[in-house]
Amino acid sequence: MITKTEVERIASLACVQLDDEELNQFTIQLNSILEYFDKLAEIETELEEERQRNVVRPDDVTKSLTQAEALANAPRVENGYFRGPRIL
Amino acid sequence: MSHLERVEEALNAIRRSNLNAYITVDYSEARKQAEKADAGQLDGRLAGVPVAIKDAISTKGLRTTCASKTLERYVPPYDAFVISKLKQEGAVIIGKTNMDEFSMGTSTETSYFGPSRNPWDIERVPGGSSGGSAAAVTAYEADLALGSDTGGSIRCPASFCGVVGLKPTYGRVSRSGLVSYGNSLEQIGPLARTVRECALLFEVIAGHDPGDSTSVAVPVPDCTASLENEISGLKVGIPLDFFGEGVDPEVQTATWNAIQTLEDLGVSSEEISLPNLQYALSAYYVQAMSEASSNLARYCGIIYGHRIQKDHDWHTTFSENRSIGFGNEVKRRILLGTYALSAGYYDKYYIKALKARELIRRDFKRAFERCDALIAPTMPHTAFKIGEKIEDPLALYKVDINTVPINIANIPSLSIPCGWKGKLPIGMQIIGDMWAESTIFNIGFQFELNTEFNSA
Repeated sequence: MITKTEVERIASLACVQLDDEELNQFTIQLNSILEYFDKLAEIETELEEERQRNVVRPDDVTKSLTQAEALANAPRVENGYFRGPRIL
Repeated sequence: MSHLERVEEALNAIRRSNLNAYITVDYSEARKQAEKADAGQLDGRLAGVPVAIKDAISTKGLRTTCASKTLERYVPPYDAFVISKLKQEGAVIIGKTNMDEFSMGTSTETSYFGPSRNPWDIERVPGGSSGGSAAAVTAYEADLALGSDTGGSIRCPASFCGVVGLKPTYGRVSRSGLVSYGNSLEQIGPLARTVRECALLFEVIAGHDPGDSTSVAVPVPDCTASLENEISGLKVGIPLDFFGEGVDPEVQTATWNAIQTLEDLGVSSEEISLPNLQYALSAYYVQAMSEASSNLARYCGIIYGHRIQKDHDWHTTFSENRSIGFGNEVKRRILLGTYALSAGYYDKYYIKALKARELIRRDFKRAFERCDALIAPTMPHTAFKIGEKIEDPLALYKVDINTVPINIANIPSLSIPCGWKGKLPIGMQIIGDMWAESTIFNIGFQFELNTEFNSA
């Protein structure tokens, strides 16, 4: 059982703002979905999950985006930089 | 017919259409490329052929929205690897097709740009998430299309629209330039009106890409050359777990009839069981959502994406940008994924999902020690009505019951038409072992040749 307070905490972790209506609706829906996922608890196995393997390539210098291309989709740009919100 | 005439026909079909299959149509560039093809300046296996691209695949200079408000104005500065391959073969990129937002859905109803419609009944969904691609190919609004399949997103709409769609082996097609949702599960794949065209498009896009560390350097088989091979002597498995009580009896009958057709062509069959399939849906959703919560962290509205007018502190600004930029299904999956990965729940959900994945993979491996391919219904039923399931997320997830096991096991699966329920198409999957795309194309082609379910 996931409570409204927990959903709020998760939403804050995920940087997703929810209004009251969304919070209520999501709490109900998340509970029914998580209840379904509880089926996974039945699994009793010593089996190791599949190992992931790192794939590396030579660290060669190749052509990358120009500054103008990299900035082209940014909502706010200043002096060739991305402009973020204030820190202080 | 000239290439320009062929492209104009598709563009006219789009203009007259009420299917909402496209988000963006590139009229002028499509005509320009077709004229080049007519002038003999384009060559390759797809010279002058109009191809539609799911809007989750990056196209340089052509808006790529992923059907999300947050990417409404995003214009990629580079082409996806598969797009470069299409262009090398002379294909004409006609436009970007509608989809569920960030590929999260089974109906194309979660698109910010409104739902697409099923060409056989416009009150019904075309399936999803690559619904626009399937609808476009069905209605001759393109000859070929690319989709992407994380848990059934190519095969579901292929089944609902009565066309052919392939989910390739994981690692077969580069994901470079595909907007990530569940990156350990998804592959770009082809949709077409016939098996032969589908196999051709697969050959064009498949192959190793040094820019995607999950793409594998194995040779791409000549699938189109082996289509004509006899299938007599092959053995197909019938996984009864795919024929559960939730599967419409008419869909079951159509699939059993298809198996009979294959037997008439000299194929033998055997009923098999995949006991861990019961965990597939939960395992799939836990893993896909966990990956989504991580993949979609990048949409903070600073480098690209929706940005609110007035900035607050960082956390509030990010949260508001995301809250306005994302639709409800995307938010739900991010929340569930964040929860599944959070302290105290990681072992309960995420690790269990990985273990289930390994068990299911082994079930399939055992099956392919005995069988050349498996035959099963693609979807438990035919296309449902727009609005019928959208209010109940869990009910909509359950529709993916027969498609997600394939992604979990990393194996390829071809969905082809195998019957009708009234005026709605029924699709079946021909599931193959790792890297065995040419076997399933061969079976699909021979089935198509000997039946008349194909609408093309």
